Amino acid sequence: MMLGGTAVRKFGENINTDYIISADLLQESWDADFFAKHAFEKYDQEFVGRCAGRKDNVVVAGSNFGCGSSREQAVHAIRNNGVVFVIAQSYPDIFYRNAINNGLVVAKSDTTGMREGDRIEIDTASGVARNITAGTETPLLNSPSDLRRFETRDTLEYVRGRLRERLSAKSE
Amino acid sequence: MTITEKIVSRASGRNVAAGDFLEVLPLDHVYLNEVIAPPALIGFERDFGSTFSGLGKELRVFDSSRVTFFPDHTVPSSSEKVSEGISMMKRFSASQGIRMLKQGDGIEHTVASENGTVRPGDIVVATDSHTCTQGALGALAFGIGTKEAEYALANGELYSFTVPQTIRFDISGRPGRGVYAKDIILHILGMMGEGGCSGRIAEFGGSCVSEMDMDGRFTMCNLCVEMGARSGMVEPDGRTVEYTREAVASAGGEWSEADASRVMRSDEGASYEQVREIDAASIEPTVSLPHSPANARPVGEVDEEIDTVFIGSCANARRDDLTEVARILKGRKVHPGVNLIVIPASRRIYNWALETGIMSVLAEAGANIESSNCGPCFGKHMGVLAEGQKCLSTSNRNYRGRMGSEKAFVYLSSPATAAASAVEGRIADPRKYVGAGA
Repeated sequence: MMLGGTAVRKFGENINTDYIISADLLQESWDADFFAKHAFEKYDQEFVGRCAGRKDNVVVAGSNFGCGSSREQAVHAIRNNGVVFVIAQSYPDIFYRNAINNGLVVAKSDTTGMREGDRIEIDTASGVARNITAGTETPLLNSPSDLRRFETRDTLEYVRGRLRERLSAKSE
Repeated sequence: MTITEKIVSRASGRNVAAGDFLEVLPLDHVYLNEVIAPPALIGFERDFGSTFSGLGKELRVFDSSRVTFFPDHTVPSSSEKVSEGISMMKRFSASQGIRMLKQGDGIEHTVASENGTVRPGDIVVATDSHTCTQGALGALAFGIGTKEAEYALANGELYSFTVPQTIRFDISGRPGRGVYAKDIILHILGMMGEGGCSGRIAEFGGSCVSEMDMDGRFTMCNLCVEMGARSGMVEPDGRTVEYTREAVASAGGEWSEADASRVMRSDEGASYEQVREIDAASIEPTVSLPHSPANARPVGEVDEEIDTVFIGSCANARRDDLTEVARILKGRKVHPGVNLIVIPASRRIYNWALETGIMSVLAEAGANIESSNCGPCFGKHMGVLAEGQKCLSTSNRNYRGRMGSEKAFVYLSSPATAAASAVEGRIADPRKYVGAGA
């Protein structure tokens, strides 16, 4: 699978989920678009405006992107701003798993050479990230099984299958 | 084997080692708070409703006796929408036979340990990153998001699980006067950085941890996620078993042989990714400066006036914590320029503080005491900070904007340092207020 877009924002290290979506908003809506509207509100007031009207936004970051709270609203806040993928040096477990479960592609690669405005592409089949603007290529560091999960974008069907097995076994 | 490897091996029915991949990890317990339960319950019905009906079954969680609901984050309810969510949880739990606690019963991680919901050797998930607190019981406990909560409700399972590596922290030496578990863990965060334990289990051992009371162990494990750890872990010992026995009995349950068989420890020669040695005697009262929990400094290096002090949260509002706070505040007054907010972590602790007279000491000193909940920790109610305000908090996160305005400043410390600072109106060294052997 090939995905490409423009680096709309490059963040540094240790961007926590409080920065992505402020905690005081979490209980005020059950709608993903509400959180997208308030993405990075206290941390980067320009983010939503930069993403507006585009479907090929790429978020670039340093290490430990999405640390802190387990709030899945942080994934919705990014995904529903037309973000085609995030690419960062590393992610902590909870955010990474939340992203995969919600079809947000979270690529791991060396992002040091990426700049805002660069055209970035990832190829999950060959496992590389390309900075088209800079003409450079870096390997994707996600596990092969995670790269496959980015393609299917669906963990739910598997869980439904487990549920069907469980329910059928019980009634036998 | 490490205790983590043993717990996963027990649950999965085969011997595993760090790095092994399990498609399915069976869970012993799942708990949800009122922040994530409402969207998770909506999602559970939306995503699995047709699977149940397709087989002619009613929508049911995997095992209602292994699910608990905690309305604990901003209660008494801080808004209409919060109340709506709590009502939804009440309806759902009543129809499914799930146990749901009441507003004010306390913070999920505190209550789940003090009523025996979580026991040594359990594998537990909950919709909050500080679920790692339960590692203090020798349980394997992970924070999860909304979708994984739906999945856990459906099948009692976690998917695509890689057995984590363990970083062992061997802590020897006796902490000095005015130095507590919170100072030790803030010091460790400073050493490791915000991502320094990423994806790993942080296992604490050594003579200092053996001698540490359960309340301190909960604090240590609570803050593990602030260095990226998948969870914290303390091998269970006599104290753990005694604590859990009492907890189980307090809820009318019984500590069984099956419970006893799940009390596991890491083997001599277990394989750790890293072993870090720490001398507790060399650690000073420690404060984390804005805007990172890993930005830790000895209190002597910090010179800052403050206007708000918050003593509470899942990190630090248990009995030992309030005992130290009362020891310092007894016969003293909160500084005229300081708003001191104290929130016991659970109703049991709240009522205990009333019985022991600790509550009177706090009230007479001028503290604002609130019923048990997460309080101002995440900036939604009970002391939201404005631009320029400076708060010393016993919670676990001091990110920019965490407790209100992005132009406020939050410092983290132990309850003793917080109490001393509430008296002085500036960040203060607690050692002049506490006697030897604290």
